[in-house]
Amino acid sequence: MKALIYSTVIVGLVPIQSVLLPHISFWGVRPDLGFVAVCLIGLIAGELDGLLMGLALGWAMSLFSAQDLISCMVLKGTVGFVAGLAGRQVVYLSPVVLVAGLLVVSCLAGLVAPFALQLSVEQDWWWAVWTVVLPQACLDAMIGGLIYWIMLSRWSIEQLMSESRM
Amino acid sequence: MRMVNFRVPYSARRGAFFLVLILVVGFLLLPGQLQSVFQEVGGPLGWMISWPLRAVAGIQDRIAGAWGRYVALQGVEEENQQLRRELDLLKEQNGQLREASVATERLSALLEFKKQVLPTSVAAQVIGRDTGNWYKTIILNKGASDGLQSDQGVITPAGVVGRVVKTTASTAVVLLVTDPNNAIAGLIQRTRDEGIVEGTTQGQARLKYIPLLSNARPGDHVVTSGLVEGFPRGIPIGTIIRIDKEEEALFQSAEISPEVDPNRVEEVLVIRSASIPTEGERFGVPKPKP
Repeated sequence: MKALIYSTVIVGLVPIQSVLLPHISFWGVRPDLGFVAVCLIGLIAGELDGLLMGLALGWAMSLFSAQDLISCMVLKGTVGFVAGLAGRQVVYLSPVVLVAGLLVVSCLAGLVAPFALQLSVEQDWWWAVWTVVLPQACLDAMIGGLIYWIMLSRWSIEQLMSESRM
Repeated sequence: MRMVNFRVPYSARRGAFFLVLILVVGFLLLPGQLQSVFQEVGGPLGWMISWPLRAVAGIQDRIAGAWGRYVALQGVEEENQQLRRELDLLKEQNGQLREASVATERLSALLEFKKQVLPTSVAAQVIGRDTGNWYKTIILNKGASDGLQSDQGVITPAGVVGRVVKTTASTAVVLLVTDPNNAIAGLIQRTRDEGIVEGTTQGQARLKYIPLLSNARPGDHVVTSGLVEGFPRGIPIGTIIRIDKEEEALFQSAEISPEVDPNRVEEVLVIRSASIPTEGERFGVPKPKP
């Protein structure tokens, strides 16, 4: 069941990210649904699931991007692992705290990306921060918070977290 | 309320962590080799994902078509009249160019070359965009199984679109000419000065390394120089809109408005470089006798 859910997330998320999201981008920037999914999976299901899903989603998404495979896999895997470790430290996670957490983690991951990708000279650090990192972090946080709020209203997240982390 | 059992046995967790550790060590020690292995192994995964990708792209095309035909019709009449005026002007210009093409041997050789290139190119449809925000790319519905491979040039009848950077069995990723990480050898058509065309962060392109003595000016057309693999000589890249000459610089550069709007491109031609004839073959230079 778990493998089926994760496979569906991987196979379904890439088309949505590459086909549908370009139509609803803000300032030319799209949210990274892979990042949001990995964070939520890490938080709810633990660091191992976050790590493995991060690696798998990073691999799948890199096949449809110019981004190199290693940076994509390692960044998403690390994010999933960190989200899992963070989820272990909290008893109750409100949507507001999650939004703030996603904003910070997305900013940090975004700041690492220009160095990991070795972008052109024109795409300097300030350009990256103002045109990609901050807008994307805001979008990631908003979408992540929205998904978490929907999940919270439909399921018992605490029970799900404790079940999956036993 | 339905719950899903997410329990993982301890030994499986340990095994998974061990595998991940091996992977990370592998990435650190053999990054290139492991990346190519994953790219190869990712073929079936890419093929599997390409099916929902095509399905979603198809649905999106139909919705966009219906929207464009029935809903978004504001200003269509005005646009239609403007396009008709532009078409008349272009017809006139086209006639003049045809006359000129007959008169020059060079242009006729180029036309002959176009006839030769056409069978070697593969038509493909744009089905998506980059999954990240760092690169400006498009995803095509043709891949390695159709003969596509990295570094092949991608064009439309209007001009250069970009370069293939990655392929799966049924899809290909094209880095656009407007991406700052792309570099294509370019040539100013009027002055014959060569340079490198790179994208800019503003969505335009820039021709770099133009000699200081060049008298290039705004309005000049930039075409591919054919010096690097992927593009034959003479395919339009864009028009110069500004010349930048800095004091004490060794070269000057020019800002280019690309001929193709990468955000609106829907169908493209991928040039399979292996079949492109050399300059000598095109102009009929005799081969040296052994």
